[in-house]
Amino acid sequence: MSNGSTLIGSTSTPAAPVVVAAARGARWQRWLRGDTWVLALAVVYFLALLPVAPDLANPENLQLILSNMLPLLVVALGQMFVLITSGIDLSVTSTIALTSVAGAGTMVWPALGLTGTAAMLAGAVAMLLIAGAVGATNGLAITRLSMPPFMVTLATMMFFSGGAIWATRSNGIPGLPEALATVSQEGFGFVPYALMLVAPFVVGAHVLLTKSVFGRRLFAVGRNAKAARVSGVPVARTVFTAYVLCAAFAAVGAFLYTGRLETGSPVLGQRIFLDVIGAAVIGGVSLFGGKGSVAGVIYGVLFITLVDNSLNILGFSSFAVLMAKGTVILLAALFDAMRARKVAVRA
Amino acid sequence: MACVVGCALGVASCRKKDGRLTVGVAFETLQTEYWVASFDIMHAELERNNIRMLEAISDGDANRQLEQVKSFVARRVDGIIVAPKDAHTVIPMIKAANRAGIPIVIYNRPPAPTKAVSVTIGTDNFGITKNTVEHMCTLARQSPAPAGKKHEALLVMGDLGDINAIGRRDGFDKATADCSDVLEVVSRVPSEWNQEKALAGVTNALQAHPNISFMFTSSDFLLPSIMSALKAAGKWEKAGHANHVILGAFDGDATAYEMLRAGYLDADGVQDAYFQSKLTVQAILDMRAGKPVANVKLDPGLVVNQSNLGTEASRMWGAAVAKQKAEKPQS
Amino acid sequence: MANDLANTGNPVALQYHGITKSFFGVPVLKGVTFSLRAGHALGLVGENGAGKSTMMNILGGVLVADGGQLTVNGQAYAPKNPKDARARGIAFIHQELNLFANLSIAENIFLTGFPKTGLFAIKRKEINERTRTLLASVQLAAEPTAKVETLSPGERQLVEIAKALAFDARVVIFDEPTTSLTARECERLFALIEKLKVQGRSVIYISHALEDVRRLCEDFVILRDGEVVAQGPREDFSLDRMVSLMVGRKLEQLFPARSMVPTATALLQVAGLSQPGVIENVSFTLHKGEVLGVAGLMGSGRSETARILFGLDPAAKGEVTLDGKPFPNRNPAACIARGMAFLTESRREEGLLMDADVRENVAVAALPRFAGRGLVLQNQLQPKVDAAARSVGLAEGKIASGAVKTLSGGNQQKVVLAKWLLTEPSVFILDEPTRGIDVGAKAEIYTLINNLVARGAGVLMISSELEELIGMCDRILVMRRGEVAGVVDKAHFDREAILRLAFGGGIA
Repeated sequence: MSNGSTLIGSTSTPAAPVVVAAARGARWQRWLRGDTWVLALAVVYFLALLPVAPDLANPENLQLILSNMLPLLVVALGQMFVLITSGIDLSVTSTIALTSVAGAGTMVWPALGLTGTAAMLAGAVAMLLIAGAVGATNGLAITRLSMPPFMVTLATMMFFSGGAIWATRSNGIPGLPEALATVSQEGFGFVPYALMLVAPFVVGAHVLLTKSVFGRRLFAVGRNAKAARVSGVPVARTVFTAYVLCAAFAAVGAFLYTGRLETGSPVLGQRIFLDVIGAAVIGGVSLFGGKGSVAGVIYGVLFITLVDNSLNILGFSSFAVLMAKGTVILLAALFDAMRARKVAVRA
Repeated sequence: MACVVGCALGVASCRKKDGRLTVGVAFETLQTEYWVASFDIMHAELERNNIRMLEAISDGDANRQLEQVKSFVARRVDGIIVAPKDAHTVIPMIKAANRAGIPIVIYNRPPAPTKAVSVTIGTDNFGITKNTVEHMCTLARQSPAPAGKKHEALLVMGDLGDINAIGRRDGFDKATADCSDVLEVVSRVPSEWNQEKALAGVTNALQAHPNISFMFTSSDFLLPSIMSALKAAGKWEKAGHANHVILGAFDGDATAYEMLRAGYLDADGVQDAYFQSKLTVQAILDMRAGKPVANVKLDPGLVVNQSNLGTEASRMWGAAVAKQKAEKPQS
Repeated sequence: MANDLANTGNPVALQYHGITKSFFGVPVLKGVTFSLRAGHALGLVGENGAGKSTMMNILGGVLVADGGQLTVNGQAYAPKNPKDARARGIAFIHQELNLFANLSIAENIFLTGFPKTGLFAIKRKEINERTRTLLASVQLAAEPTAKVETLSPGERQLVEIAKALAFDARVVIFDEPTTSLTARECERLFALIEKLKVQGRSVIYISHALEDVRRLCEDFVILRDGEVVAQGPREDFSLDRMVSLMVGRKLEQLFPARSMVPTATALLQVAGLSQPGVIENVSFTLHKGEVLGVAGLMGSGRSETARILFGLDPAAKGEVTLDGKPFPNRNPAACIARGMAFLTESRREEGLLMDADVRENVAVAALPRFAGRGLVLQNQLQPKVDAAARSVGLAEGKIASGAVKTLSGGNQQKVVLAKWLLTEPSVFILDEPTRGIDVGAKAEIYTLINNLVARGAGVLMISSELEELIGMCDRILVMRRGEVAGVVDKAHFDREAILRLAFGGGIA
């Protein structure tokens, strides 16, 4: 280290703090430019609809929007890790279904004889373990066998979805502990317990992405895996970790979804994949890898949830809701592409 | 963009203060004709009562349906009608409605036992199936199998995870047990509500038991599969023909109506969708008025057969669908 | 100075007269005037950003000049688009070749500008016949129907030239034509350029390889900051003078003197390194404070040896000893941890995260040194990153700018260097460290290498530019067909001897 400082550290010491502060300012600005437009869009959308649908703003509905966001958010954050490596995890919906069934099955397993909170916790552990196994399967197939993520996760999606349906003969698992329903549906004052559960994962994802060595390596792999490898980044380990994280976050989402429905379901979340990807992409995560932020995903999830909720409130035909949502995702992506091009030209 | 969406599509909620009641209708699927017809009939019935309908279809996603029902609650509708995916996931929806004091009616699939309060409008699957199969047994007695043999019977079952499918199976079993002197059940084909599986299952059964002459399907929408299998076996004939298979089905859709008219289908157990919609809307209104309402109301349905087709076709929802199709031929 | 080139014989084919061009008020060309004679080659040299590309883009109709006049064969010429340029017989052989890889040679040549009769009814036979003649004239032995993707970069360039001949181009512009060519292909290209001149065509030759320019061109135009600082016949320009005109300093300064002599302490010892089909029995020793050059033709095993040393590719046999300790199972992370660094041949593919900014790129290899409990120690890392970036001569504005893809090639290479300097390497492997970089940036990189060895590091420097190896190295290891053909000491540095080793005694 001392050698290094004589080589590169000597000329700069007096000016350094100023430069660092200025750099922080610049980074703050870039952060704002990167994500906040999605938040702005969501707010504008909300305000524009308010005159025709005043119910949007009633406290009950605001709470509903928040509680609808939470499971989708944690699932989308998991997917974000994988998208940043320029991969994709199609099996995330099957992971949700499989962990839902495994968790619910554990909670009501007579041999364990657990009830209440203990049963819920045992179920949660089972969900994380199963998710870890699914993520590890994906990660190993992609890194060790060098198979394309799309193919690997398409196959595991079908396999694990089939497994969940086979294991339950396509029946739901009811009779889950009351504690689970409480955690996922109720709250402390205005703060849902689900928010308290999800918050550490959101903060954790943010710290991982912006402050950790893993986060730096994740972006490096997504931007240029070859260059990352030459620079000493353990590419395989980084990608593997991303898939395990994705599955583990999906298990947290599955825990909440299961609690909300008070049923372990083998078809849980089968149709949320486009919401997950849509939210991530609207939130500025690039499908080409190397780009993404927790704040962006939060805004993307907010926007998607808001569109869904508002159109329900307005009482549109469900097909109109689907079409509107598709259009909004497309417009958002288009806007993002235009904005990216502008920034590039200016630079 | 948001503004355009809001103004163009937001008319419904602009008229909130006109004194009309608003009811949210959440259907799990619109994938078969029965659900589409039920949905349309429900809409018409609500209109008839001067009630505005908010709609939500969840495409088989229980979580989405929960979010939709909760958004009805947040919008403070005056009543909620849910056709749920299954008996368990509907319970949190009922709880949400209960908390808000909004009357909720479960359509077609009863919830599992729960403390939460709702009214279920259902079909008497057991009774209707039993009546239908009993009519078929009468026909079997009238045309006995040759040389002291019994009729060989086949049942196409639904998805046994669905309580409705179980009721229909049990109705079939009861009726066939009562006439075991003239027929014997030789084959039960599990379809899991899937046309391909039904076709494969029936085809195999006909090879194993070439003398099958009595057949009941748990749903009309599997009739095209059965027709293919019977045609391949040379048994697709009208009533009266020597090779005719005594055929019964359940639902009352347009295909069944046409097949009854053509003489291939002998009897169809019909869910009276008009009656059920009437019961549903009435239950909401009664609950709002504080009148006592029974927890479960079952539609006794009816059996439409060759002899009563002329008089009862108007109660068969499939007949209306078939007429619509005839008026608006697809180009 | 012989400014009036038109007096020396051949007629003037092309003339620039007071051409000016500005972008957003910043002048890029400040009244450029020169002439090109028929049947001559003109060497256009200058640092990156001197205005060469702008000059050529105006000639090609891609940009329109703000002021001044162009004449072609004495007639005024004001191209509005590339089609105009073509119509007046001006052809470009670009750095990145503009061919469709999935089409045949003949289709590529006649894709545009085929004689009108064949526009709708393509006469394959006629096209193929004409292509055959053209290919013969550029001495490319390939079938007209062969797909371009089956050709080597050098052969593709010949196709580009054939394309220019197809419409009888009178002025052919070569922009850095040799960057992706092997030594043999270069020779073939140079012979072809001589032939073009004999046919009375004019050539504008743009290259950083000044040796080549001197060899090919009769006339020179030296450009600096949008101005012609000197022009005249070859005889007026020594290599030394060309460089000092371009950058405003002398050639000796290009290869700055090193105060330190290499020590006798072995740093990296390689013994019998082999991988079937790649390298065979490669052995050498790199000492503390030494720059060991590696010369050889493309495919001689130079880069392959470096990749094996850095653990990127496997080796079947051989031993590597670093700082006296054996180093058997190598991977990049382990190599970096033990003080090795590797600047790869391809910046774009293996050197940089093109979409990331300078700081992220500089930090990536040194992350384990600035980590605590899995978190990046940003307070320690950030000042070191900036210091490293500054130490390689990156301007403050460049350090804070956006994605590195917006930087020039020279600045990009400095970013790669800064990345490795931050890991404080004791053994630095440099594979083509100055490729595609202007002279000024080259000199800065040479200085950095000297600083590194002065500190006691050892540098393994792979290069295709012999001048550079001779100017920088203490010893040069020459490779041929995967084996070490010989090691030359500084006292015996000699172009010819080294080339003979590289070619196997046959050519050179």
